[in-house]
Amino acid sequence: MFHDDRTLRTVAERLGTALNNATPEQLMQLQDGVRRQFLHEGITFTVIGKEEVTEQIIPIDCVPRVLTASEWDHIDQGLRQRLRAINLFLKDIYHEGWSLRDGIVPYELVLGCPQYRMEMLGTKVPHDIYVSVCGTDIVRTRDGFAVLEDNLRVPSGVSYMLACRAAIKQAMPRLYRAHNVREVLPYPGQLYSQLASLVTWTQSPRIAVLTPGRYNSAYYEHAFLAGEMGAELVEGRDLVVHDGLVYMRTVTGLKKVDVIYRRVDDDFLDPVTFRNDSLLGVPGLFHAYRVGNVVIANAPGTGVADDKALYAYVPDLIRYFLSEEPILSNVETYLCRTTEGLTYTLENLDKLVVKEVGGSGGYGMLVGPHASAKEKKDFAERLRTDPSNFISQPTLALSRAPCFIDGKVVPRHVDVRPFVLQGRKETWIAPGGLCRVALRQGSLVVNSSQGGGCKDLWVINEEERNS
Amino acid sequence: MMLARAAGDFYWMGRYFERAEHTARLLDYHLAHLVDTPADVLARGWQLLYAALAQPPPISPTETGDAEAFLVPDAFALAAHLIEDTENPDAIIQSWTKARDNAKQLRPWLPVRVWTCLNDGFLWLRDCDFTEYWAQGPNRLPAGVVDRLRHLSGVVEARMSRDNAWRFLELGRFVERLQLQTALLRAWSNPSNKNSQVWAGLLEVCAAYEAYCRTCSMVIQPRQALAFLIANPEVSRSLSFATRSVQVLLSDIDPAGGRYPRRAPHRRALRLAGAIETNLHASAEIADTQEFLGDFAEECRTLHDLIIAEYIDYPLEQGLPS
Repeated sequence: MFHDDRTLRTVAERLGTALNNATPEQLMQLQDGVRRQFLHEGITFTVIGKEEVTEQIIPIDCVPRVLTASEWDHIDQGLRQRLRAINLFLKDIYHEGWSLRDGIVPYELVLGCPQYRMEMLGTKVPHDIYVSVCGTDIVRTRDGFAVLEDNLRVPSGVSYMLACRAAIKQAMPRLYRAHNVREVLPYPGQLYSQLASLVTWTQSPRIAVLTPGRYNSAYYEHAFLAGEMGAELVEGRDLVVHDGLVYMRTVTGLKKVDVIYRRVDDDFLDPVTFRNDSLLGVPGLFHAYRVGNVVIANAPGTGVADDKALYAYVPDLIRYFLSEEPILSNVETYLCRTTEGLTYTLENLDKLVVKEVGGSGGYGMLVGPHASAKEKKDFAERLRTDPSNFISQPTLALSRAPCFIDGKVVPRHVDVRPFVLQGRKETWIAPGGLCRVALRQGSLVVNSSQGGGCKDLWVINEEERNS
Repeated sequence: MMLARAAGDFYWMGRYFERAEHTARLLDYHLAHLVDTPADVLARGWQLLYAALAQPPPISPTETGDAEAFLVPDAFALAAHLIEDTENPDAIIQSWTKARDNAKQLRPWLPVRVWTCLNDGFLWLRDCDFTEYWAQGPNRLPAGVVDRLRHLSGVVEARMSRDNAWRFLELGRFVERLQLQTALLRAWSNPSNKNSQVWAGLLEVCAAYEAYCRTCSMVIQPRQALAFLIANPEVSRSLSFATRSVQVLLSDIDPAGGRYPRRAPHRRALRLAGAIETNLHASAEIADTQEFLGDFAEECRTLHDLIIAEYIDYPLEQGLPS
């Protein structure tokens, strides 16, 4: 919202002036209104504690973050390029494996990745689209926008993006209208279209959202998306495979399902093929997928490409598969699996952020500058014991955005997770994203499970701004 | 097309709401009459109320055989037990919580207004200060629950399509109503229960007092009141009305199931209707009616099992396309 010299950027002038002119009471009212809206609509996530399961609303900040259309278009192009390369890479590793043979990515990194699925070897994936829904975390540093990580398995948070937008529209309708903000609300319709486009055998496919159930922390999102798409919200126990076809149990008998938008991890999809103790999956589902009778999005085995160690190779993959230079850069990453990477990480632990390669949700990481001596010592021990399980990155000077906290407008670190949808012929990116905020002063961790919140992100066409 | 599990969730949601409203109506009436009712009638009222809800009371006069036991604990504690005690699985807050849990799984099928109305009601009940309400008037809280549930019913009426989602919700309500009303009438039809004020209370709770006075008599006759609440098809809380509603809903859900050879739930609903007719013509004594109600309660339980087995939790081979 501000330049380095703390003057308002042109794109944020109107919003900044409105916030400047508002009294703390008015802002408080605005914030309360937005929070009440979340509570009223039951926009919650589930927290499973030791003794009880509680329901919480995600903390939401009422001050939108703004980006210009040209900034967004740069991100948009970068994400399209990245997803194309990732889909080609996934096809490659489950078929010919040229990128491995040519030494672009080390064999052991792919074959040793827990998310690599041998079962997918040689499997024909509809239209070679392994990743239909992608949520990529992007940060802004002094050098511009950079990708922090790709979420390719079951990226979540899109419902909060849509809920934030709906709440902000209600809370500040005039200001919103005055800014000619690009619209994110077509997301569910686009998701439906892109998923439906993957089916070739019928014009009107039956789509189901497969959820682990209501105790899953993202259950609200699963139900929301199913409702908004007009799809069925199913659990594993609602589906059955018979003669290689997938059916769901309805009050009038079993009905065939054509597309499964799964929000269940690979491990739990099918107890016959993957973990045999899974109660969430559907026995025989993978067989139905292999013989081409159902589309599963995202395809099993895509998690190998969102491994944090493999992330370091994505720019090389873009060059290899597309013969293009990456539009969005990566954050500098040191692989602890290499001797140099491990040595550097151990020597600079107090300056680095160290992450588990398969971790998520802000768990299993160490933020060096904020860690105690004991935490650093313990982490160094873990690094030495199992170096290949970790990567490290420099502590970034993440951009900050104004947030209304405890009656004052204060700066907090933010990132953004845009959502990319890949259909048979088209790629669609919601012009906005889940803007996550580290609500604690000085914190760089934006995950909701670690005290993070969210805010709306406005992509504004400067030249088209309403006068 | 309706997912079987979702149909089950709607069905149970309907049941939980009916249960919450039933308890709230009973409490509303009972607590509203705390002031001018003799202590022994009040104690008897608590006994009937717990018997009608088929709930074990927090004190156990049935075990000790001591009817006076209900005079010892105050009404506040008993009302709190039935409304907000999270240890009591049948307390109103628990029914509402379970209904909301079901509704959470039904978000794709529920109109937003229905969900928000239901959610707001839940948040209100969860966060309300029972003591404060009690200070304003003992029946204020159950009366508030009844009002909110009726408001919710209105939103459901106005917002939901008359599709299978709505039908299963209604089916749940009426099956629950059949069971609750049967238990209520059974509790009241004890031959020793001859106090006309208590019978008037029953008619009031069933929203049938004015209709009874208009149709039958201003003087409440226990046998006549009982017959009225069993067989009058125009009283929304009569067994006859609920049975007829179940029949209509089942036919709408599964038109083929209502034709010969009828499916099991349809046959059972028909049997219930027949049993009411037979009882009506038998002009039975109250003791006989109590026996009839015992059998009727058993039939209602079977009807519930048959609905689940036929439409919600059926064997896979039964559902495969031919």
